[in-house]
Amino acid sequence: MSKLIYIAAGIFTIYFLLPLYILLMIAFSPAKYTIESVYPPLYFKGFTLSNLIYAFTQYDFISPFFKSLAVATLVGIVALIIGIPAGYGLSRLPGKVAYPVLILLLITNMVPGIVVAIPISAEFIKLGLYDSIPGLAFVQELITLPLAVFILQGTFSTVSRDIEYQAKIDGASTWSFLKNILLPIASPGIAAAFLISWMFSWDEFTYAVILSPIHPTLPIEIYINITRGNELAAVAFSLVFTIPVIILTIALQKYLKGEYLTGGLKS
Amino acid sequence: MKPSLKYFLFTLPAIFYVGFFAFYPSFDAIYLSFLNSQGKFTLDNYKELFYFNIYGTIENTIIVTVGALLIQLFLALGIASILTREFRGKKAFSTISIIPLGVATVVSAIAFSFIFQTVGGYANSFLHIFGLKGVNWYSNTLISLFVVMISDSWKNTPLVTLIILSGMLSIPKDLYYAASLDGAGPIRRFVHITLPNLKKFIAIALIIRGVSEFNIFALPLILIGYHPALLTTLAYELYSTTTIYLSSAAAVILLAFIAVLIVINIKLGGGRK
Repeated sequence: MSKLIYIAAGIFTIYFLLPLYILLMIAFSPAKYTIESVYPPLYFKGFTLSNLIYAFTQYDFISPFFKSLAVATLVGIVALIIGIPAGYGLSRLPGKVAYPVLILLLITNMVPGIVVAIPISAEFIKLGLYDSIPGLAFVQELITLPLAVFILQGTFSTVSRDIEYQAKIDGASTWSFLKNILLPIASPGIAAAFLISWMFSWDEFTYAVILSPIHPTLPIEIYINITRGNELAAVAFSLVFTIPVIILTIALQKYLKGEYLTGGLKS
Repeated sequence: MKPSLKYFLFTLPAIFYVGFFAFYPSFDAIYLSFLNSQGKFTLDNYKELFYFNIYGTIENTIIVTVGALLIQLFLALGIASILTREFRGKKAFSTISIIPLGVATVVSAIAFSFIFQTVGGYANSFLHIFGLKGVNWYSNTLISLFVVMISDSWKNTPLVTLIILSGMLSIPKDLYYAASLDGAGPIRRFVHITLPNLKKFIAIALIIRGVSEFNIFALPLILIGYHPALLTTLAYELYSTTTIYLSSAAAVILLAFIAVLIVINIKLGGGRK
C-alpha cells in the first residue's frame, strides 16, 4: 500500500513540476534544442545564458516590472486600509449581520472581470484614470479586498474578546485598543492579507489588459511578447515574474486555505 | 451608540467599495448593452451577437467548465487522499502540490502553449519517443477546448485539493476503523464513507470553481486565441474590434449565467455557518 502512495505521489510531483521544468529548459537551453526543434528533447541538452541576456537587453522589462510592483503595492495598502476595519467589525458582529456582508463580498468576488472592466474603461477614459497606476489598482482591489477581509476577519476572531473587555475597563478607547493591542497580536494575519493581495494583483490579467494596455503590467507584457512571437522574451520574463510568487506561495501556505480562497465558507 | 452599530460602521467602507466597483459597473454594462452608438435604446446588440455565433460560444464555455471541473475534482480527490496519509516526504509533497497556485495564469498558459505546440511541442516529443505520430492539438474545437481544460486544471487543481482535503480531514477516523473491521477494502471505504461525507465540500468546490471556469479568460486567450471563442474571449474580441455596446451585450450574457450560479451558491451556502 505504501509503495502505491509513493508511486502516486511521484506521478503527481512530475505533473506539477513539468510545466516549470519546460520553462526552465527553454530559458536556459540554446534555441536549436527547444523552440527551433520539431521534436524538442525532454532533457537539458546544452546550457546558455544568452537567451536571458538577449531578452533583457532587447525588450523592455523594467517599466512593466515597476508598473506591476507599484500597482500590487498600492492594492496591498488599500486592502489593509479598508480591510482592517471591515475585518474587525465583522469579527465582532453577530453572525446574522456578519453573514450577509460576507455573502455580499463573496458575490462581488464572482462578478466577471470582463463585465466590470468594459464599462469602467469608458468611465476611466473620461476621468483620466485609464492606463494609470491608481486606476488599475482600484479595480483590482475588487478581487483582493474580499479575500483580505476574510483573512483579517479570521485572524481577529482568534483574538479573545476578554482582552478587549479588559482593555476597555482599563480605559482604552477603541482606537488605542486597535493600535496597541489588536493590530500587534494580529500582525501575522495582517502581513498575510497584504502579501496575498499583493500576489493576486501581481498576477491579475483581465483588468490589466482592458484598463492598462498602453503601459502594460508584467503579465500583459508577457502576453504581448508571446503574441508577437518573441517567445524567448516571454519565457525569460515569465521566470523572473514567477520565482518571487512561488516563494511567497510557499511562505504563505498556512493562509492559503480553501475556505478563504473560496470565499470564507466554513464547513 | 449600540455596539453592533459601531462594528457595522467599520464594515461600511468595504461595502461601499465593492458596491461602487462591482454593482455599479454591472448595471452600467446592462444599460450599455441596450444602447446604440447614437445613445438610443435598441435590441440590435443582442441580435447582432448571433452573427458572432453566440450559441456556439456558450456551448464552448459550458464544455470547458464541465470538463475542467471533472478533471480537477478527479485529480484533487487523488491528491487529497494521498495527503491524508502519513508517509516520509509528505511535507515536501504537500508544498509541491500547492506550487501551481502561485504560478500566474499567463505563465502557465505559456508553458502549456509550448507543451501543446503542433510543431515543436513537448507533448508531441513525448509521443514521438514511443514512435507515435504528433497530434495537431488545434485541429478541431473539442481538442482545442481539451487543451484549455488540461492547462487550466494544472493551475487550479491545488485549490480544489485544499477544499477536498479540509473535507476529508473532517471525517471521523472511527468510521474507517469500523469499516475495515467489517472487512471493507480501500475502494469500498472510499465509495461508502469518503464520498458521502464529502458531498457538501464537493458541491462547494464545484460551484465556486464553476463560477471561475465560466470566467476563464487569459488562458484560452493565450492558448487558442478567439478560435474557438468562449464568452469572455468573445466579449474581449468585440471590445477591441467593435463597439463597447456590442461587447457589453456579450458580457451581459456571461453575467446572466454567473448570476444563476451565484444564486445556486447562496442557496447552498445559505444554511451554513
